[in-house]
Amino acid sequence: MTEAQGEVFDLGYQHYDGPREGRSRARRAIFENGVRTVLGLGRGPRAKILPTALFIAAMIPALVLVIIASLAEPLASFLPGPADYYQVVFMILLLFSAIMAPELLCADRRDNVIHLYLVRPLTPTDYVVGRYLAFFAIVLAIVYSGQLVLQVGLVLSADNPLTYLRDSWSTILRILAAGVVIAAFIAVIPLAVAAFTTRRAYAAAFVIGLFLTSTAAAAALTAPDFVCEEIEVDGRIVHTECRPSGEGALTGEAAKWFTLIALGEIPLRVNDLIFDRENDSEIARAAADLPDALLVGWYLLFTAGPGALLWWRYQRIRI
Amino acid sequence: MPPLIEAHDLSKHYGSTIALDAVNFEVHEGVTGLLGPNGAGKSTAIKLFLGLIRPTSGSAEVLGKRPYDSVESRSRLGYMPETETVPSNMNASEFLMHMAQLSGLPPAHARTRAADILRHVGLDEERYRLIGEYSTGMKQRVKLAQSLVHDPVLVLLDEPTAGLDPGGREEMLELIRRTAHSFGISMLLSTHLMGDIERTADRVILLENGRVSEEGALSEFTQETEDLLIEVDDREGVARALSGRGVRVIEEPQQLVVQNATDADYDAIRDAVADVGARLRRLTPRRHTLTEMFRRREE
Repeated sequence: MTEAQGEVFDLGYQHYDGPREGRSRARRAIFENGVRTVLGLGRGPRAKILPTALFIAAMIPALVLVIIASLAEPLASFLPGPADYYQVVFMILLLFSAIMAPELLCADRRDNVIHLYLVRPLTPTDYVVGRYLAFFAIVLAIVYSGQLVLQVGLVLSADNPLTYLRDSWSTILRILAAGVVIAAFIAVIPLAVAAFTTRRAYAAAFVIGLFLTSTAAAAALTAPDFVCEEIEVDGRIVHTECRPSGEGALTGEAAKWFTLIALGEIPLRVNDLIFDRENDSEIARAAADLPDALLVGWYLLFTAGPGALLWWRYQRIRI
Repeated sequence: MPPLIEAHDLSKHYGSTIALDAVNFEVHEGVTGLLGPNGAGKSTAIKLFLGLIRPTSGSAEVLGKRPYDSVESRSRLGYMPETETVPSNMNASEFLMHMAQLSGLPPAHARTRAADILRHVGLDEERYRLIGEYSTGMKQRVKLAQSLVHDPVLVLLDEPTAGLDPGGREEMLELIRRTAHSFGISMLLSTHLMGDIERTADRVILLENGRVSEEGALSEFTQETEDLLIEVDDREGVARALSGRGVRVIEEPQQLVVQNATDADYDAIRDAVADVGARLRRLTPRRHTLTEMFRRREE
């Protein structure tokens, strides 16, 4: 006969006497939960599909460029480089932000969980800043990942990787700065929109519509009309030459100001300034005469403005 | 032991509407019921104690601090709101861990506390299911669990049985009573349901039109009467036997009542039960109910 080896005790309720880290821990929790929410961690498999698909979509342009550069070296100088990369992936980043950012705010208000957040050692400002930083960090990771893939590919396909690296250190600094510019801008507008609806789909549709219509309107207003002339040699048309007529929907001084309404172009103009890049898009050419300080100021306005709107909205949430 | 909550001439006005009008009261350890009809000022008082709004005049101190001066005072405070406030797309374990961290607990401790509290509210087996798939009663238990997960000193409960069916209400009241008396966590229970207060509270604060109209220990409001309650298995037989002995008895659905009972009535009841051969389940003086108190106030 064997004797009992142990006993089971019901310890009942145990009070907590461990560390309490107060508001700083609460702020970190908002940030970490924000990251997990966007990536679908701790949720079902369906929650992971969209962020994964959009992340892969953001990586594809960099991979394609690297593959082309490594297989057809003579083409490398004609391919978009680090300075062009953010323009290439901007639409994908916009889709990612428009779809994923509202999930950070809409669900908390739709399920009233925000009521539980704001009765803890946390202010509405802590909440909004934590959520913004979480999304900013994710967008920044995506834009840097693409540039990292591109840089690694370019370094490895260079004749002398070390020389290439030494010669391009300033490009790396520009990549880092431009990444922050793009991520800060593209993270804040969808969050500001999401602060005014509990429906993620409405916020996403509004953001995408806002960017597309503003860019289309700017392009339509500033696109120049062209005059084309057929050049004949011996009675045969050998060439058709087109040039701006100097007239369009808007001409002269007015046109360049209307380029500012293109929301999607705002961070890309700052990207061009950082890389000292000449952009040959129609809107960029029309905006070429605008002072650099104005472009930077306009960018800051459209980043800080939605940020302030987001902050203001959460100061007014009542439980 | 200092009071957990102190309200000093506490007033809150919304424009020309006076939600709280210079109220003074204290909340001590145990369960305190904040009772009153809709619009009495209960929710305003709770918001003031949570530091969500500032008083128009007067002051409130919760756990020795003014809650509207610093959010840090909420670290030892729990709150269970009336509305449904749980995320549909998270499981209970993940949600409670997050709530514990929001109250300042490090992740490893938050995980342990979440598991402990889910076991205490009876959701241990269901902790990895999405909360959106829970019944109303289970969601209500998650709400209570999130208010306890950081081991608060005081929990503010706002209409904790709202929307529950009778069975769910019984379970929730039992859970509240057990939490308060076995776990030693004090509670301020705001409700318009007198039954909830009678079942759980030690003290009552009655709010009407933004003022405290009554305050005291529950036993003061529910003092014993001269009436005797008798619960037996053969109610009709015992009633007949008592009537035969000249005792005036009232038959109620679950019990017999002898009004203004004398010592002789006690003897008659003993003999009647013995003669009929009935089983005596309960013989106790009847207590006033809060409902009767309200009825008397209205008269």
